[in-house]
Amino acid sequence: MNEVKVEVIGPDPPCARCQAARKVAEKVAEKLKASGINVTVAKANAMSKDVVSKYGVLVSPAVAINGVVKIMGRIPGEAEIEKLVKDAVEKRV
Amino acid sequence: MAYSLAPTMKPADFHGLAVWEIPLAYLADYFSHGWICLLFAFTVAGIIYEFVPKDVVMKYMSSGRASGYALALIIAPFLTVCSCTMVPLFAGVLYAGSGIGPAITFLLMAPAANILSILLTGEMISWEVAGVRILASVAVALTAGIIISKTPWGKAIEREHQQNSADTRGTVEIVKPPLDERLTASLKFAAYLAKQILPYFLLGLVAVSYVEAYLPEDIVGTYLTGVTGILLASIIGGPLYTPTLVEIVLGRGLLELGMSKGALLSWLMGQPYDVANALAVSRIAKWKVVLTYMLIAWAGSVFFGLLYGALIGSL
Repeated sequence: MNEVKVEVIGPDPPCARCQAARKVAEKVAEKLKASGINVTVAKANAMSKDVVSKYGVLVSPAVAINGVVKIMGRIPGEAEIEKLVKDAVEKRV
Repeated sequence: MAYSLAPTMKPADFHGLAVWEIPLAYLADYFSHGWICLLFAFTVAGIIYEFVPKDVVMKYMSSGRASGYALALIIAPFLTVCSCTMVPLFAGVLYAGSGIGPAITFLLMAPAANILSILLTGEMISWEVAGVRILASVAVALTAGIIISKTPWGKAIEREHQQNSADTRGTVEIVKPPLDERLTASLKFAAYLAKQILPYFLLGLVAVSYVEAYLPEDIVGTYLTGVTGILLASIIGGPLYTPTLVEIVLGRGLLELGMSKGALLSWLMGQPYDVANALAVSRIAKWKVVLTYMLIAWAGSVFFGLLYGALIGSL
């Protein structure tokens, strides 16, 4: 089973756009389960020290795939996230 | 008469209208002129936001204090058309070790001179006022940042959050979608902004119409001119501030009723001490810091109101 971690990074309490980004990520996770990729979606707080020291200052919403920020300051499309997740899987195989 | 981008009704035009007719007449007047300027402002804001190279900018912001102030001043107007990004960025700048000074500068500069409000100020009031507003905001934001970074309580916050600058190499690799998708995204963001702001903006316009219709000119002429006018405008402007651009329309209305230009500037600059943001910031920095920057912002708006009023002879 391929494991991919998708982090949606935004402020806490989340803003509307970050919630939208998270929904996209969750939809993709649901969809990819069938094809054997296990996607865990997590919410990370853009205002926590851990996140800032790991990723630097971010424009929210940001999306990190397996610890690499790929998207910053916009709501990604489903196809886009799906492709990023699949790329992450291929890179590891 | 040249085509005007701003409403053309004068306060006198409202006499003789029924109470329910006033907002309707005003809105009709506003939108027959103002729609193009609103459309332009939202679209430009959306496009700029999408095309600012956020990853590059953020890398610099994370890299420590060296160029912190300059960056904070330059970046703030472009990144913060959406108020929900501002406080997280403030926290980010602080936690990344850039120091409390640039963080405060950023926080004050962002609402005071974001592209949406500058465009609207320019189109509805005048480009001179918009320009002065930017200059004054830069001065105030910079002063507040520098002063706070020297206070004991500011330094305490900074020590608390001091850490090694984040090394983001390898953890940030932004993917760039093709140009057509980015253009669509920028328009979508413009629409999102409009959806967020316009409902409040409309309510604000209704309020403005009643102010123009019922507020007697002698009251404005007596209280919103001279030194008293500037003090009053700076105090009312603060709590009234909502991130909805209404202050611009209301400012224009009051100007028409006889408020001095000096007072207008104080009025427009009264934004940084808006309460909702202050609350959010106080969770990260201490109340003492919040109170200090509010005080400086207020003093700055009075000072620049007086200076501008004196220089152009409209006190």
